[in-house]
Amino acid sequence: MSGDFTEIGRALPRKEDRRLVSGRGRYLDDLAFPGALHVSFVRSPHAHARILGIDSAEAAEMPGVVGIFTGRDLDQMTTRLRLAPPIEGLQPTELTTLPIDKVRFHGDPVVCVVATDRYLAEDAAECVSVEYEQLTAVTSITEAFAPDAALVDDSLTSNMVSHQSLCVGDPAARRAEAHRVVEARFSLHRHTHVPLETRGCVADWDDGRAHLNMHIGNQVPHPLRSQLAARLGLSESQVTVMSPDVGGAFGQKIALYREELTVAALSRHLRRPVRWREDRMENLMSAAHAREYECRTRASVSETGRILGLELEIDEDFGGYCFYPANYMARVIALIMTGPYRIQDYAYEVRVALTNKCGAGPMRAPMAITSWVMEGTIDAIARDLGLDPVEVRRINALGPEDLPYKMPTGELLEDVSPRETLEIAVDAIDVADFRARQAQARAEGRYLGLGLCTVIESTTYGSEFYKSAGIPGSGHESAWVRIEPSGAVNASVGLMGTGQGYESPLSQAVAEGLGVRSEDVTVHMGNTDIAPYGMGSRGGRGATAGGGTLYLCALKARERVLAIAASMLDLNDAGGLRLRAGQIERMIGEDWQEAGLSLTDIARRAYHEPLALPEGIAPGLDFSHSYDPPAMTYSNSTHACEVEVDPQTGAISIDRYLVAEDSGTVLNPIVVRGQQQGAIAMGLSGALLEQVIYDGTGQNLSATLADYLVASPNELPEFEILHHNTPNRRTPAGIKGMAEGGVMGAIGVLANAVSDALAPRGVTIERLPLTPQSIRALLREAAPSSTKRTQP
Amino acid sequence: MSAPTHDPLTLSLSVNGETHDVRVPARKLLSDVLRDDLGLTGTHVGCEHGVCGACTVLIDGRPARACLTFAAQMEGHEVTTVEAMGRPDALSALQQALHEEHGLQCGFCTPGIVVTFEHYLRENPDPTAEEVRNVLSGNLCRCTGYQNIVAAVLKAAARMRGEAA
Ligand code: FES
Ligand code: FES
Repeated sequence: MSGDFTEIGRALPRKEDRRLVSGRGRYLDDLAFPGALHVSFVRSPHAHARILGIDSAEAAEMPGVVGIFTGRDLDQMTTRLRLAPPIEGLQPTELTTLPIDKVRFHGDPVVCVVATDRYLAEDAAECVSVEYEQLTAVTSITEAFAPDAALVDDSLTSNMVSHQSLCVGDPAARRAEAHRVVEARFSLHRHTHVPLETRGCVADWDDGRAHLNMHIGNQVPHPLRSQLAARLGLSESQVTVMSPDVGGAFGQKIALYREELTVAALSRHLRRPVRWREDRMENLMSAAHAREYECRTRASVSETGRILGLELEIDEDFGGYCFYPANYMARVIALIMTGPYRIQDYAYEVRVALTNKCGAGPMRAPMAITSWVMEGTIDAIARDLGLDPVEVRRINALGPEDLPYKMPTGELLEDVSPRETLEIAVDAIDVADFRARQAQARAEGRYLGLGLCTVIESTTYGSEFYKSAGIPGSGHESAWVRIEPSGAVNASVGLMGTGQGYESPLSQAVAEGLGVRSEDVTVHMGNTDIAPYGMGSRGGRGATAGGGTLYLCALKARERVLAIAASMLDLNDAGGLRLRAGQIERMIGEDWQEAGLSLTDIARRAYHEPLALPEGIAPGLDFSHSYDPPAMTYSNSTHACEVEVDPQTGAISIDRYLVAEDSGTVLNPIVVRGQQQGAIAMGLSGALLEQVIYDGTGQNLSATLADYLVASPNELPEFEILHHNTPNRRTPAGIKGMAEGGVMGAIGVLANAVSDALAPRGVTIERLPLTPQSIRALLREAAPSSTKRTQP
Repeated sequence: MSAPTHDPLTLSLSVNGETHDVRVPARKLLSDVLRDDLGLTGTHVGCEHGVCGACTVLIDGRPARACLTFAAQMEGHEVTTVEAMGRPDALSALQQALHEEHGLQCGFCTPGIVVTFEHYLRENPDPTAEEVRNVLSGNLCRCTGYQNIVAAVLKAAARMRGEAA
């Protein structure tokens, strides 16, 4: 990393902590609104059913009830969500705010009850009766694609809502000439985000100004405001979105959900503040789900394990509704699949199914399955050919001599280091030593396994990416930096953190660009009246798009400050001047020396003595800037972990976990380390325990935290993190994104480690999660006398 | 239907050493009374079914789930919430250690963890990492992966024992 930074890279503790650790944070439900009404939703008990009638007469008479509203009512107050980007193979979809004719999953909101108190609203919701005619529920990809399948969305021609394919080079020819063709399968289960704070909002319609104040924990305040305004028939001047402290989001708090739009519409309709807080059951059942994929690969390989061509099929279960274009997440997986490896002949086919389950959305690392599929394929090749999996990685991995490297899909990799992180991880884990211990353990009837997983993590997503994906919208970000008359530094950007800890690293980006101390910068986020229109937080864009834009904006501010300083010091130009820790310094001989001017002196002149400013310099110190990052920035890492599987109980213990990671210039190592740990934890938790479970009729069986299991500290190891940071030459200060790769690596490395452990029993992991029950089932299925595959 | 009566009761609650008279329905949860009626919003509600631990408070000095307790049961008992355990400008040793070790991200789980371990460290001033992990397994954290929380608790314990850490 460049050693020239004074503020970027400091291990500065987080500014948010003092309020949060003492219980003085202000999360959505902590905000008081006197006289606010409370909402409770009546939800569908069926996965797929026609709504025949709604009887709310009894509920309407109950204490505290102010109103009861159905899909038909809401359809008068809001416009429908139509998604029809011009993408080949994508069926356009449209949905109403609440369902009118039929429900599409267990938990679908059908009726909204408004009362003076949350308890009373829930009482009344229980007394609304809805008459349904049950329809056949489509609960799997196979069912969805069956020729006689019931239609989940009656307006479509089939349940295949999206279908794309690509073929680059000549994979069929590679198959024909290959030494072997190795096939592998991967099935990732349905997850959900489980932010510890559930969703919710307070809509406060100001009838006098005809203005909506929307308080909502959200990752993307400006795009959300645009959608809210559009769907309420308001102008963007009539809506303010304010996000308080947020108790986690992980991709779940991006879309404008139907409940939130309902609450906003009803606040305007009733001319009162209206609030909703989702309970945990609703969150597990009806907030977005994610990640349900079936993948198959076919690799054509040489005798040495060199991959000559790769073919990939992905099927995704998208659930009942499209809040995002249905090609959106699976396509990124297909685009970056070849990731760390030299592969030019590549074909993919991606099919997305609608089913009668909760709608899917992005979840931290929407492309999470990618690394498991690619690295699982590598391990399958090693198994098939009897080669060392490390060697198969080495022979295919991109090294410095290959860079910049254009993937077959056109994605450009530069300033990445997959072969280096592989070697660092392999060294640190000491593979030879592990293999000796493993052999010893096997002789004693114990099952140790080693997994490896190299990750190429797509982050930031500039406008160029969206353009080439055919999706409207932008990947730019906007910022302002304002030096106040006292010299205080305020700044803002369109991001909104949901727990990552943006306040310190973003202050560091401003401080570095301007030349002040990070402690003296305050970054304001989460209010659309204050922050400039930016695209918000998602896709690992906080550092590059957010930090990068702030840094560039602060450089602009510094230039002006130094020009004013030069005139105050009677110099012709600012050439020999700099700002350090808020003081002007001047190069005298070989040394920087204090010039006796502070930022405060300059601010005073800029605001209070405009006539003394040099010609051409306007009063005040107020700057704005917007920046569109490269189409994509890539980070990379290699994960390694050792496990032991207990064949009696099926329990997995993780004995060692390490990751060698390249995340470019690091704004704040404390925050980055926290993100790395959190991402790995989320990946392991998902691979070990978490699972949204629907039965064959589409009933959700995992709607409490006693059924949807999230890892506790007893399941998670300590993470050893090794750094190998290569700055990106095309971004401000060399920043890359990070924070999702840990999920990708964790899923892949754990599956590979367990496959390695159970190799003597002929078991290969093709399906997650790895619960004790699933491991036991695999061991039972594997015939005891099955041909043992051995590995060097 | 025969509607249940939800007529309010008058309760006298002792919270953080202060007595509050409130009128609330008998079925109102302690977590909701603390938050809505007393304005003590540090006690967070993450699940309302006793699993996540975000709502942990002390009842007569022992940790309990405020989401599984009715406020009406609290007459004659002393409730302590995170608000009594340190302020932004005067953090407790445990809070300071959580800050230094980066033991929180979104912070939604944090008050429950602070309450749990303020109590635990008084009774067990010298725990092992494994003991801390076992106790912490009652508090769900979705953000951190727990490693730093464990480190922070051990650091606070050492400081509270008077050892340099
Ligand atoms: S809110 Fe009480 S344990 Fe989760
Ligand atoms: S810090 Fe977010 S849940 Fe623990």
